[in-house]
Amino acid sequence: MLGTALASACSLVYLVWRTRSTGSRPLISAPAGRRWPGVVHAFGRDMLPWEKESIRLNPLTFLGGALYHLGVFVAVIYVLLSVLLPGVHPPAVPLRLAAAAGVLAGLALLLKRVVKPELRILSVPDDYGANLMVDAFLLLALAESFFPRLEPVLLVWTSVLFLYAPVGKIRHCFFFFYTRILYGSFLGRRGVFPPTSARV
Amino acid sequence: MASGPDPLAVRLAELDPAAIQKILDELRRRFGATEEAFASTCVRCGLCAEACHYYLTSQDPKDAPAHKLNLVLSVFKHHFTPGGRMLPGWLGAKPLDAAAVAEWVDSLFGRCSGCGRCTIGCTSGIDIRRVIRAARGALAAADLVPPELQSTVMTAVRTGNNMAIPKAEWLDTAAWIEEELQGETGDPGARIPIDREGADYLYAINPREVKFFPLSILAAAKVFRAMGASWTFSSESYDVTNYGLYSGDDGHAGLMSARLADSTERLGAKTLLLGECGHGFGANRWEAQEWLDRRYPFPVRSVLEVAAEALREGKLRLDASRYTKVVTLHDPCNLVRLGGIVEEQRLLLRAAAANFVEMTPNRLKAYCCGGGGGQLAMTRYADRRLRAGRLKADQIRATGAQTVVAPCHNCIDQLMELNREYKLGVEVKTVMEVVAESLVPPGA
Repeated sequence: MLGTALASACSLVYLVWRTRSTGSRPLISAPAGRRWPGVVHAFGRDMLPWEKESIRLNPLTFLGGALYHLGVFVAVIYVLLSVLLPGVHPPAVPLRLAAAAGVLAGLALLLKRVVKPELRILSVPDDYGANLMVDAFLLLALAESFFPRLEPVLLVWTSVLFLYAPVGKIRHCFFFFYTRILYGSFLGRRGVFPPTSARV
Repeated sequence: MASGPDPLAVRLAELDPAAIQKILDELRRRFGATEEAFASTCVRCGLCAEACHYYLTSQDPKDAPAHKLNLVLSVFKHHFTPGGRMLPGWLGAKPLDAAAVAEWVDSLFGRCSGCGRCTIGCTSGIDIRRVIRAARGALAAADLVPPELQSTVMTAVRTGNNMAIPKAEWLDTAAWIEEELQGETGDPGARIPIDREGADYLYAINPREVKFFPLSILAAAKVFRAMGASWTFSSESYDVTNYGLYSGDDGHAGLMSARLADSTERLGAKTLLLGECGHGFGANRWEAQEWLDRRYPFPVRSVLEVAAEALREGKLRLDASRYTKVVTLHDPCNLVRLGGIVEEQRLLLRAAAANFVEMTPNRLKAYCCGGGGGQLAMTRYADRRLRAGRLKADQIRATGAQTVVAPCHNCIDQLMELNREYKLGVEVKTVMEVVAESLVPPGA
């Protein structure tokens, strides 16, 4: 399992490196602002629920997404800990809460994708498949916390998930940060971020 | 008037593999690290939909920005990524065929004004507008730009301005405006300078001002006079617009911008000063030097920056009590959300108008009027454009404004159409026009 985790991380780092090495047209017009304050704004205030219109208009989706990602994050940490430090037994309650909330959120997001026409037209098999794979992982992590004999199944499934991550949409776990930096940097350089005053 | 078959439809019907290969080659050339990163980032969550004025006014899933983005990304993945080649069905990678090209043309030209509001709404910050422009450029390489837009580009390329105004007509108009300026200011020495060497500013405007809105030029001239600015027009290159930004054709776009840059250098002007034109600002301030791979030795600024600076420094004196109508402000996307000129126009309007009210939302989150992205030129999509403008019309109505100010002539044209379509009963002006009405006469 550790091997697949390492392979996954290396693949994702390679994908980001390869993408970056494609190169971009150099920006030579004089900047009106600075990149890094823009990046800080992009990762900070611009992501706050009351600041981002798309979040404000879709609070349940935002909550679902947050719980889903939190669940995955917590479950991955627990699985890695159980392999790296087998003698350490962190309390099960946080994992159970995060995984249960995560799987419910994941299924809700899947249901939304199935029901809403504007999402159906967008969706590809990877969107459904990746969601179900992650939901299964969360469910297994939750079940394993009650039935430790399921650990081998959980580890095998986690390995499958790690191996799949660089292939499909799960790769966004790395690329999200890359794109967000590009976004903040672009608008920071143009003097758009951080905004000079309050608005709406 | 007799009308033949639609040349774009003919071109699409006759599309051959060589043309499709041209599109793919250009797409590959235009997709750098940034665009590739976007292809690996979009999770198709669809949250961008409610940021788009097209989607909000139609509820058509085809209008959702993520749909438009993924039309392009699915092709990119199929042809240029290992995953897309190995698992096309699973990853939604699709080959570019004639049907896909037709959908690209309809969606990328006909359902997007390049306003960038979806980028602000995207939870990852994907610059969807940038990908769409790259794909428009790929279509341009295969001669698939809607002819109305392409003819605007080519008119500017051939004649030096997008309205094909002959030089003699331009100079006649400038002379007439000069007489008006002298009459209104009572100053026989007041000038509309043409080809003056060594001025601080070479001023570039939208040729629509010459043809239809000369009072807009007069207003700017009054403001420059009040500021004591040293400025000039060029007799040859004064067109700030650049429809190459919209067609996606960097070659023609660069050529148009280079003319302004060359005139600035030839006349020894210290600054290229851009008039009230949103996309002209975006093109000449932010994109041109990259198109041309040439660093300008002079700054490029908006007239709003310079006027706001003069106001702050006390060189420009305004009396808000001279303009008492209720005024609201439209934020042109290329100038504000994508250009960084956000507060200057507000500073000027608060000083020039006694009753200034903001629309909601505004600034970076303002709705596009619907006139950008070449939409005003592409008459085939006029119904969609007017429908998409309904949000802006609703915003205007909610302010109760009598005057809508827009620092962009493209936006002004669209706002005037929205005014008629939605019976708003407003007048539409530039910032300089309102500022000119509130000028405190020298010595007063």
